[in-house]
Amino acid sequence: MKNNSSFLTKNRGILIFFAVMLLAPFLIGLFEGSTPLMIWGNQGSLSKFIEGLGIEIFILALFALSFDLLFGITGLLSFGHAMFFAVAAYLTGIALKTLAMPFWGVVLLVLLAAIVQALLFSLVLPRVKGITFTLVSLGLASVFHIIVMSSDMINLTGADVGLQGVPVPAFISPVTERLRFYVIALTLLVVTYLFYRRFVASPTGRVCVAIRENEDRAKMLGYNTTIFKVVVMIISSLTAATAGMLHALYQPSISPSIADLGFTVTGLLIVLIGGVGTLSGAIVGAFAFRLLDFTLRRFMGESASFITGAIYVIFVLFVPYGIVGTMRMRQLRTKPGWQRLLGMVKPKN
Amino acid sequence: MKTNLRKNSKAIIILVIIAAFLFVAARGMSGRDVLITVLRGFSTGSVTFLVAAGFSLIFGLLDVLNLAQGTLYMIGAYVGWTVYVRPDTFIDVLTPVLLILAGFSLSALWGRLASRIQLAPKARKIISWLLILAGFGLLALVLTRYPIAIWNLNNYSESPITYSYMADQGLRIIPAEVTFEKISPFLALAGLLVSSAISAFGIALLNRDESRSQTINWRKFLVPALLLLGGILAVVFNAQITSWMYAMSTNWLFVIAILIAILSGVGLGALMETTLIRPLYNRPIYQLMLTLGLGTIGLQIVQAVWGRPEFVWPKPEFFTGTGGACPATNLADLLEYNCSTVFLLGGRVRVYDEIFIPIVGIIVLIVVWILLKRSRIGMIIRAGVQDRQMVEALGINVRRVFTLVFALGVGLATFGGALAAPSTGLTPVMGERLLLSALIALAIGGLTSFPGAALGSLLVGLIQQFMIKYGQIGIPLPFTDAVFKPSPPLVPASTVLLMVIVLLILPGGLLGSKE
Repeated sequence: MKNNSSFLTKNRGILIFFAVMLLAPFLIGLFEGSTPLMIWGNQGSLSKFIEGLGIEIFILALFALSFDLLFGITGLLSFGHAMFFAVAAYLTGIALKTLAMPFWGVVLLVLLAAIVQALLFSLVLPRVKGITFTLVSLGLASVFHIIVMSSDMINLTGADVGLQGVPVPAFISPVTERLRFYVIALTLLVVTYLFYRRFVASPTGRVCVAIRENEDRAKMLGYNTTIFKVVVMIISSLTAATAGMLHALYQPSISPSIADLGFTVTGLLIVLIGGVGTLSGAIVGAFAFRLLDFTLRRFMGESASFITGAIYVIFVLFVPYGIVGTMRMRQLRTKPGWQRLLGMVKPKN
Repeated sequence: MKTNLRKNSKAIIILVIIAAFLFVAARGMSGRDVLITVLRGFSTGSVTFLVAAGFSLIFGLLDVLNLAQGTLYMIGAYVGWTVYVRPDTFIDVLTPVLLILAGFSLSALWGRLASRIQLAPKARKIISWLLILAGFGLLALVLTRYPIAIWNLNNYSESPITYSYMADQGLRIIPAEVTFEKISPFLALAGLLVSSAISAFGIALLNRDESRSQTINWRKFLVPALLLLGGILAVVFNAQITSWMYAMSTNWLFVIAILIAILSGVGLGALMETTLIRPLYNRPIYQLMLTLGLGTIGLQIVQAVWGRPEFVWPKPEFFTGTGGACPATNLADLLEYNCSTVFLLGGRVRVYDEIFIPIVGIIVLIVVWILLKRSRIGMIIRAGVQDRQMVEALGINVRRVFTLVFALGVGLATFGGALAAPSTGLTPVMGERLLLSALIALAIGGLTSFPGAALGSLLVGLIQQFMIKYGQIGIPLPFTDAVFKPSPPLVPASTVLLMVIVLLILPGGLLGSKE
C-alpha cells in the first residue's frame, strides 16, 4: 500500500462494508416484497429481524474490537473486559430507569464511568505483568459480577433475573425506530474501526505494538510504557462502554451473564475467529460467531454451546491466525507467486 | 536469618495483619463457633489446595495455565459418584474404555510400521486423515450400539437424583442389566479394538518423524495386552463383578470410587497433554485459550450426561452412624459406632466434612511434599520449575516429565472433586466456583510455589468460612447498635479483595519468586 494513497483507497474494505450494510435492510426487504419506503417506515418483519441481528452483531463487533486493541495490539490479556461492557449497560439501565436522567446526561455519565474504570485498572498496570494482570483483572471483574448478582442491590440491578423494563428514549427505540438504531450502531462501529486503524498506524499505536512484542525493549528505548498502556486502556474501555450502552438500549433486559468471565471469553473467541491483532478480524469474527451461534441454536438447541466450544478449540489448534490473519498470510504467500508468474510472461526491465 | 526477615518483610507484615484480623474475628464469637469455623476453613482450604496444588505444579513446570482445572475437578466428582452409586454403569463403560485404550496404546508399534511406508507427503496426509476419520466413524457406529446401563435424565424415577436419594436412604435400587441386542458381543469388541487401532495408525502415519528411533520389544505389547485382558474380563464377568460391587461395604466402594476418580484424572491429563497441549508449547496464550475451551466443552459434556439438577453423593457407612453413643464424645465411641458427628467443645462437628477432609488434605500435602523433595522425579520437577532449558540440556527427557506432571496435577484436581462431593453435592457450577477460589489462593500464595498454594488455600478457606459465619451471627458495628451481616455474595468478594491487595504489594504473591 502506498503512503500517498487517499483515504478512500486505504479504507476501501470498510467503506464497501458500510455501504453494503446500509443497503442490506432495503435489499432484504425486496425479497419479502416490501418497498424501500416501507422499510424506511420500519415496516416489514423480515428486514426488521435482519436489522435486529445486525445490531447484535455490531454490538459484539464493537466489544471485540475494543478487546482486540487491548489484547491483540497491546498484548494485555484482561479477563475482566466484560466489566467495562457490563458497567456501562447497567449504568445506562439504572440511570434511565431509577434515576430518570436525560438521555445525553446518561451518555456522558457512562463515558465518564468508563474512564474511571480504565483508571482503576490502570492503578494495577505498572505493578503486575502478564498472567498476574490477567488474574487481577479477573478478580476485579468477578467482584463486579458478584455485586450485580447479590440480593442487596436487587432494587437496582434485579440480581440474577436481570434489569428489566429500561425506558428507552422514543427517538432510538429499537421497537419503533429500529432502522435508525441500526444505522447508528453501524456508523458507530465503522467510525470506531476507522479511528482504531488510524490509532494503530500512529506513532502511539506503534509503541503499543512494541509493548506487545517486547515490553522491556520498548522501555529500554525510553518509552514510558505505562502511559501507553493507560491510554489504550481508556480507549478500549470507552469503546466497550459504547457497546454496553447500545446493548442496554437494544435488549429488553440486561442479564447478569454479560458481567461474567463467559462474556469476556465470547469476546476472545470472536477475536480468535477473526484473527488476533488484525482489527478487521473483530468485525469478521463477530459476524461468523453470531451467525454460527444463531444457526446452531436454531437446529441443535441445547448442544449448541458444546459445538461452539469445539469450534473454539479447533480454531486454537489449527487456525491460530483466524480468518483474516490466515487470508493475509495467504495473500503474502500468493503475491510473490503472481509476481513471478507475471515476471515470466513479461520480463523486468 | 536477619536478611531473610528483611527480604520477606512485606510478606510477613501482610501475614501478621491477616492473622490479627482472623484473631479479632475469632474473639467476636464463642469458642464453639471458632472451632467449627476454623475446621470448616481447613476443610474448604484442603479441597481448594488439591486443585490449586495441581494447578501450580502444572504452571510451574509447563508454563500452562490450566483453566480447565475447575471442570476436571467437577468431572472427578461425577465419575466418582457414578462408581459409587451406579457400579453397573461403571463396569459397562469399563470395557469399551479399556479396549479403546488398548487400540491406541499400540501406536508405538504403528509408528515403527508407519515409518517404513514410503509415500508422497500429500498422499500421506490424505491417507492418514482418511484412516483417522474411518476409525472414528467406525468407533461411533459401534459405541452407539454398545449396551450400557445408564440413568435416564428425562424420567424422574430413573434420574441420578432418585438413585442417589435412595442410596442415601440405604435402599439401593439395582437396575436391570442390559444385554447385547443391537450388536453381537464379538463384533462389538472386535469393532472397538479395530477402529481404535485404525485411528491410532492414522495418527502415527501423520507424525511419523517422532517414532522413527523407537525399537520394538515384548514390553511394548505388555500394556495393550493387559488392557485388552482387563476389558475382556470386565465384559465376561460383567454380572458377577456388578453384583459383587453392589453387595460390597460402602466404605470399600468409596475407596474404589476415589481411586477411579484419580485414575480417570490421570488418564485425562495425560491425554490432554500429549494430544492437545503439546503442539502449542511455543504459543503460551493459545494454551491458555485452549484449556479455557476444553473447560467449556467438559462442562457441556457433564451437563449432557449427568443433567443440570443438583444431587447428592451419599456418604459411606463409616461416616453416617447415628445410633449408640452418637454424637461421640471420645475416639473409642467414634470408631465403634461410626458416628456422623462428634461433640467438640460443646459443639457438634460433622466427621466427614470437618475432620476427614482436612486430614486427607494434610496427608496429600505431606505426600506430595515428600515426593517433590525426596524422590528423583521430584528433583527433576523442582529443577524444571527453576530452569527448564538447563534440565533439558542435562539430557533428561523433559517431555515425559511434562506428561507425568500434567497427569499428576489433573489427578489431584479430580481427587479433590471426588473428596469434596459427598459434603458439597454435585452441581455443574461446582467447578467454576472452585476454580475461582483456587486461582485466588494461588495468586495470594504465589503462582509457582507449592507451599504458597497450601498457604493461600488455607487463607482463602478460613476467610470464606469466617465471612459465612459472620453472615449468620452478624458483626456489631462500633459506636452503634446496628449489626452488619455480610451477605453470601460478599464471601467470594472478600477473598478477591485480599488477592488484589496482596498482588498490589507483592506482585509475586506471598511465597512466590521475587522479580
